[in-house]
Amino acid sequence: MNLNYDKASIEIPESWRAKAPIILSAGLIFLVVGMACCFMATSKGGDYTQALKYLTHSYLANFFYVFSFTLGALFFILVQFLTRAGWSSSIRRLAEILMMTIPYLALLFVPILVMLFAGSSALYGWNADPKDMENSVIASKATFFLSKEFFTIRTIAYFTIWILTASWFFRLSRQQDESGDTELSSLRQKWSGPLIMVFALSVSFAAFDWLMSIDADWYSTIFGVYVFSGSMMGFFALMIILCMLLQNAGKVQKLVTVEHFHDMGKFLFGFVMFWSYIAFSQLVLIWYANIPEETFWYQVRLEGGWKAFSYGIILVHFIIPFLFLMSRHIRRSRTLLATGAAWVLFAHWYDMTFLVMPNAGSAEFFPMVGHLLGGVGMLCIFSAIFIQRATGVPLVAMRDPRLPEALSYANPIL
Amino acid sequence: MSEHKPRKSIEKKMPKAFGWMAEYQDENNLLAAARKVRDSGYTKTDAFTPFPVHGIDEALGIKPTILPFIVLCAGFTGLATALLMQWWTNGFDYKYIISGKPFGITPASIPIAFELTVLFSAFTAFLGMIALNSLPKFSNPVFTNPRFDRATNDRFFLFVEATDKYYNRESVKELLGGTHPDSLDEVLEDTTPSTLPQPIILALLLLVVAGLIPGMIILNMRAGFSTAPRFHVFFDMDFQPKKKAQQQTTIFVDGRTMRPQVAGTIARGQLEEQDPFYLGYDPSKLTMSNDSPSVLFVSLQTPADGKPPIAVPPATKDEKTGGQPPATPVVPVLPWIVKLPIEANEDNMKVGKLKFETYCSACHGYGGYGDGLVHKRADALAQGYWLPPTSLHIDRVSKQPVGQIFNTITKGQGKMASYASSLTPKERWSIVLYVRALQRSRNANIDDVPVESRFLLDEDPKPVDPKPESTNSVEVTSK
Repeated sequence: MNLNYDKASIEIPESWRAKAPIILSAGLIFLVVGMACCFMATSKGGDYTQALKYLTHSYLANFFYVFSFTLGALFFILVQFLTRAGWSSSIRRLAEILMMTIPYLALLFVPILVMLFAGSSALYGWNADPKDMENSVIASKATFFLSKEFFTIRTIAYFTIWILTASWFFRLSRQQDESGDTELSSLRQKWSGPLIMVFALSVSFAAFDWLMSIDADWYSTIFGVYVFSGSMMGFFALMIILCMLLQNAGKVQKLVTVEHFHDMGKFLFGFVMFWSYIAFSQLVLIWYANIPEETFWYQVRLEGGWKAFSYGIILVHFIIPFLFLMSRHIRRSRTLLATGAAWVLFAHWYDMTFLVMPNAGSAEFFPMVGHLLGGVGMLCIFSAIFIQRATGVPLVAMRDPRLPEALSYANPIL
Repeated sequence: MSEHKPRKSIEKKMPKAFGWMAEYQDENNLLAAARKVRDSGYTKTDAFTPFPVHGIDEALGIKPTILPFIVLCAGFTGLATALLMQWWTNGFDYKYIISGKPFGITPASIPIAFELTVLFSAFTAFLGMIALNSLPKFSNPVFTNPRFDRATNDRFFLFVEATDKYYNRESVKELLGGTHPDSLDEVLEDTTPSTLPQPIILALLLLVVAGLIPGMIILNMRAGFSTAPRFHVFFDMDFQPKKKAQQQTTIFVDGRTMRPQVAGTIARGQLEEQDPFYLGYDPSKLTMSNDSPSVLFVSLQTPADGKPPIAVPPATKDEKTGGQPPATPVVPVLPWIVKLPIEANEDNMKVGKLKFETYCSACHGYGGYGDGLVHKRADALAQGYWLPPTSLHIDRVSKQPVGQIFNTITKGQGKMASYASSLTPKERWSIVLYVRALQRSRNANIDDVPVESRFLLDEDPKPVDPKPESTNSVEVTSK
């Protein structure tokens, strides 16, 4: 297969690369200022217990916010090969670059592990001395599962699984750029099935470990799916914005068509609905059974000033994006769709805040501003990592055997 | 067949023409022709292809359907219907507490709202699609041309309707002719007679009349009277050669269909009627009693009047205080067993303590003084009408043989219900053991405490603890 194309049109824009250090520094500044804001606003006198709690929770929420995009990207790659999808061939490389940022983001998890080994229980209450956990159910059990050593082992295992999967898929994809060998596609198709099962389990358990165990007495078996649905939604929102920004910078203009935007919009809409379905499934069972050891999780989210915020998630995360993205005219308009995607990116941050922050304490203005700044900072750092990772990599897998299919298909007019 | 009829009649009467239809070899020709026709301004066009052709809607200039908006409205209607219905039924018209949940719209209403939204949307999408396509349509004039049959096989057709506002017979013919079709035909009215053949009409009439028969029979039966016995469709199902309970039979001499048990049989569950372990008395010694069998029988039943029976004196000689005469002669002397059928060991004592504190202490109190929480609460509420639970330390109870205490737990007494369903016989005996220990602990002296445990008494300055912690160290004798 011989394609004539302008190599410059599938490279990361030069202006982006020039701005990467600035974005990175801005991200770091935002993160530090945000965290300082959290810390200062919640420390009372010489007592830093609450401040540390707020700080670590904010860090975890913001970290997982950007990390979930890469998980979404990894799943997207796996499922494209599993279903032998052709439509996505021209946007697949962007997702591949996104998933290749996992090794860098893994470094951002190190502070949490360091904090655990320093003996802090500000984020994970189970790390405290059993004597100090009077009201905790897990304190009365042998807590081998939630010990800092086993937690670390599992965390390393998750990152290993994801990094190995991502690098293998990326390596084969890059090899195909050189050789155009269709066998490389078949090989990835063959392994995507088993790997997707490993992925599903690892993501579910990572969600349990990292996010659910901040309140170790509470458990919800659907929690992993909940986090996954939100991550996929965030990933598609990010992809839409990324494609639009690249096209505005004069790249991939003919390779990413309105049909791709339309289909990513459909996925975005679908995952908005899927998240709502899963979130409601979790709620209705807990609400109906009305058992104190399950309902207190929602109780925490309805007290201490969180009530309006928690009810707001129905509007922010479901009703607004659901109604906005429903029309195909909006999904086929680049600007409108990107507006919706930007809203969904915010909604995903809102969801992560809803999951994590009420456990840190009551909702107050300045700590929340700090938390938001931290989120912006984390997003900037993530963007810089993405630009760095994308440098020297073609943004489209030009010798993918399914690329012609991706460029010629069309959504039927309903 | 009538293939040539329309063609012939063109010259004669000019049957109604519906438009022009062009035939093509492949979809590329069709797409090109469709674009040309679209660009010429025709909108009432249609394409017929053996498989879905991508891009044909764009080539034909088909506008997006309004069906999604209709479905959206239907979805909102479904949502509103479901929410209103649930609010009306459970929040307004007939408030009924279900699982202690609040009235009206709750999270539990959402699945129903979701279902109705989907139901309304799905039905509207399906029926709306049918209606917008003007279906069902039994015949289409395009079928009159036999060449059109290949539309389901290997040919592609483009049809320009005569109802188009720019339609002009000659110019459309010219336009389509310029797209290099394999053939170009005018779609003409089907002139074959459209009336149904007479046999079919007759058969339909017959079917309708036959369909009335069951209804008429039912109406007749409902309106009229009949003295004939009921018609049995399945006679041997209605009259089966079997006997039911309480019927008579000629097979056995005594004429009973229900057969008594063969002597010596112990059926499942009947062992409990035979063994002292399950009864608290020895049934084999029943006959040795002086009382009449009916008195004995009555005494084994749970008292119906709710009055606690008067103290029963011990039956056998080896009970310590056997000398007291019964207060009333009605109370029989049952052969209660006086020796615990289980071992008086630490394990049984623990079980007894646990079960006593679970089931008995609510009324009888932890110390057995009849001062449990239920008593305290009821006493406060009933203002004197409450009959307090029996203290286990009064003479009447402490002198009862173990079998009788067991019987009380098993069958209940007075207000006390039976605990046979909550406690296994072994657990009931463990409770008896524990009650015995409790009773003994009230009258214990220092010799009952093992020498090595006596220092515990010295360290604790309190007097006798009503809670029976110390009972584990008390030797239990049940003789």
